[in-house]
Amino acid sequence: MTTTSTATLEPVDGEFTVAAPGEWQNLPDAIEDDLMVINMGPQHPSTHGVLRMLLTMDGEVIVDNQPVIGYLHTGIEKNAEYRPWVQGVTFVTRMDYLAPLHNELAYCLAVEKLLGISDQIPERAQAIRVILTEINRITSHQVALATGGMEMGALSAMIYGFREREDLLDILEFVTGLRMNHAFIRPGGLAQDVPETFIERVSEVIDALPGKIDELEDLLTQNPIWLERNSGVGVLTREQCLDLGVTGPVLRSTGLAHDLRKSQPYCGIEQYDFEVPTVDTCDGYGRFLIRIAEMRESIKIVQQALKVLPGGPVMVADKKIAWPAQLALGPDGLGNAKEYIGKIMGQSMEALIHHFKLVTEGFEVPKGQVYQAVESPRGELGYAMTSSGTNKPYRVRVREPSFIHIGTIPSVTRGLQIADVIAAVASLDPVMGGVDR
Amino acid sequence: MVDATTTKAAKEDDDTGASTLSVHLQELREVLTGGIPGATASEHRGELTITVDPVTLTAALQFARDDAATQCELLSDISAVHWPGGVMPVDVEETTGWPTYTEERDEGSIEVNYILRSVAKNHWFRIRVSLPDDDPTVASATGIYSSANFMEREAYDLMGVEFTGHPNLTRIMMPDDWNGHPHRKDYPLGGVEVMYKGETIPPPDERDY
Repeated sequence: MTTTSTATLEPVDGEFTVAAPGEWQNLPDAIEDDLMVINMGPQHPSTHGVLRMLLTMDGEVIVDNQPVIGYLHTGIEKNAEYRPWVQGVTFVTRMDYLAPLHNELAYCLAVEKLLGISDQIPERAQAIRVILTEINRITSHQVALATGGMEMGALSAMIYGFREREDLLDILEFVTGLRMNHAFIRPGGLAQDVPETFIERVSEVIDALPGKIDELEDLLTQNPIWLERNSGVGVLTREQCLDLGVTGPVLRSTGLAHDLRKSQPYCGIEQYDFEVPTVDTCDGYGRFLIRIAEMRESIKIVQQALKVLPGGPVMVADKKIAWPAQLALGPDGLGNAKEYIGKIMGQSMEALIHHFKLVTEGFEVPKGQVYQAVESPRGELGYAMTSSGTNKPYRVRVREPSFIHIGTIPSVTRGLQIADVIAAVASLDPVMGGVDR
Repeated sequence: MVDATTTKAAKEDDDTGASTLSVHLQELREVLTGGIPGATASEHRGELTITVDPVTLTAALQFARDDAATQCELLSDISAVHWPGGVMPVDVEETTGWPTYTEERDEGSIEVNYILRSVAKNHWFRIRVSLPDDDPTVASATGIYSSANFMEREAYDLMGVEFTGHPNLTRIMMPDDWNGHPHRKDYPLGGVEVMYKGETIPPPDERDY
C-alpha cells in the first residue's frame, strides 16, 4: 500500500503532478491571491459522464475553470484504421452514444463521397436515413432536457424525458434491432429495409409526441426555479461562439440560424419543410427553448418523410460495394435467406467468391481526402477521412461538437458560482463518449 | 517547405479535366491563391484544398478570417494525417491487418488540415500544411481562432505536432506521463506496453496468462 502511494506521488521532471503539469502551472497563484482551487469530478453525478473540472474560486465566484478530459478515450479513430470500411460504422456508432445514427450517417456520407457514389444512393435509403436521424435528434434532446432538469433538481422532468425517449428507442429497436449502437446505416445505403409496419408504427408514436412534449414544456418553461437557474447562466455571445467554434443549439441561441441541414443539405433533407428555431437570449434558458422547438421541427420532418416515403432498394446498385445479403427472419433469428444461401453454396461459385471477398476483405476506396459534416443534435459533426486506396481507412478524424463545446467551459463559467457551473455545462449538452472518442 | 509528394498529388487532381468545384468555390480559389503568398489550390470530390507553406500559415488563416470574400468565422476542425517515409514501417504479418500502404515516400510528413467555414457566405474549404514528421512544428492558430486551443492540444497529444505559441500545449486525451503519440502510423495498434502511473501490462501476445 505504502509503496503504491509513494509511486504515484513521485515527482515527474522535478515537479509534483497533482493536476496535469501544464494545467497546474497555468492556474493562478492560489496562496498569493487568496484563492482556492477545488476539484470537481471526474466522478460526479452532474458532469455528464467523466468530466473533471479544476475550479479556482475567489470566495463563491469562479475565477478560472479548467476542464480535464480523456477519461473515456478509447482510440476509436485509431481502431478504425485497422478494420475494413464497413466495420468502421460499428465503431463510430459507439462514440456519441446519444446520437449514434448521426455518427453512422456522417461516416457513411464521407465514405460515399470518397467512393464518388454520393448521387447513386437510392431515394428510399436517403428518406429512411432522414427519418431515423431526426428520431435520434428528438431522443438526444430529450436526454439533454431530462438530465439537465435532474441536475437542477427537477426530477419529474427526468422521468418525463426518459419515458418519452423510451417510446422512440422502441422504434429504433424495431427498425434496427438495437436501442443504441445500431450500425444500421452502411456505406451505400442501409443494412436492410425497414419492417413492413414501419410507417404505421412510427406514425403512431410520432403523432402522439407533440402532446408529450407539451407536458415536458408545462413542467419547465414557466417554472420559476428552472427560469431562475437557467436565465443568464452559461452566456456565450455570437462572437464568442464563432471564435470558439461553437455550433448547434448553442450557436442558434445567439440568434444565428446556422444549421447544416439548411446550408449544406444532405440526404435530400432540403425537400422537407422545416424551420431553424433561434432565440437571442444567449443563455441556458434559450438553449432549452431551442431544443424544445427543434423536437417539434424534427416531428414535422419525420411526418413529411413518412408521407412521401419512396419505394425501391435501400442499397446502392453497384454490387462491388453493396453488402451481399438478403436477410430474412428464420427460426434461429435474423440471417441470410435460405434461397440466397442455396444459390451461393449450391449453384453459383462466382457468387460465393464475390460474397466471400466482399465480406472478408471489403471494397477498396480510391485515394483521397474528404470532409463531411452533418448537423448532429449538438452541432457540426464532421468526418475528415483519408483513404490510401486500400480496403481500410488510412485515417478517420472526427470533429466532435461536444469536444469543441467542452473547450468553451472556461469562458462559459467564469464569474459564476459553483451551482451555476452545473447548469451551464448542462446547457452545452456535452456527451463524454463523443468528447473523448 | 512544400512536400514533393503533396505537390504531385495536387497536380494529379488538377489534371483530371473539368473542375468539380462549384462556381462559388472556383471564385474562392482565385481569391485565396491570389491573397495568400505561395498558396497552391487542389480539388477532390468537389472540395477545395489550399496548400500553403508552414511559414505562411498564420497569414493564410488571418486572410481567410478577415478577407471580405472568404469571411470564415469558424475554424471547424484541425486534423493531422501521418505519412511515414520509406515503405511500410510495420510488418503486415505481425500486426492484425495494417492497412496496405503501398505509396513509397522519400521523407515522412505530417499533413495538418484546417477546415474553415463561413456561415455568412455558406462555404468551407481546407487549408493544408505539410510538415516533416521528425520535427513537425508550425505556428499556433490560437491567436486567430480560440477554437484552435483544444484541437491543437489533441493534435499534439495524438500526432506530436508542436504548435509554437500555444498557451498550454499539454496532453489532453492520454495520461500526462504517456510515451509517444498514438495516432502516428509508426505507433502500432496493440503491441505496446500499456503503462499507467508506474504499472505496466504487457501487450496481448506476451502475456503468460
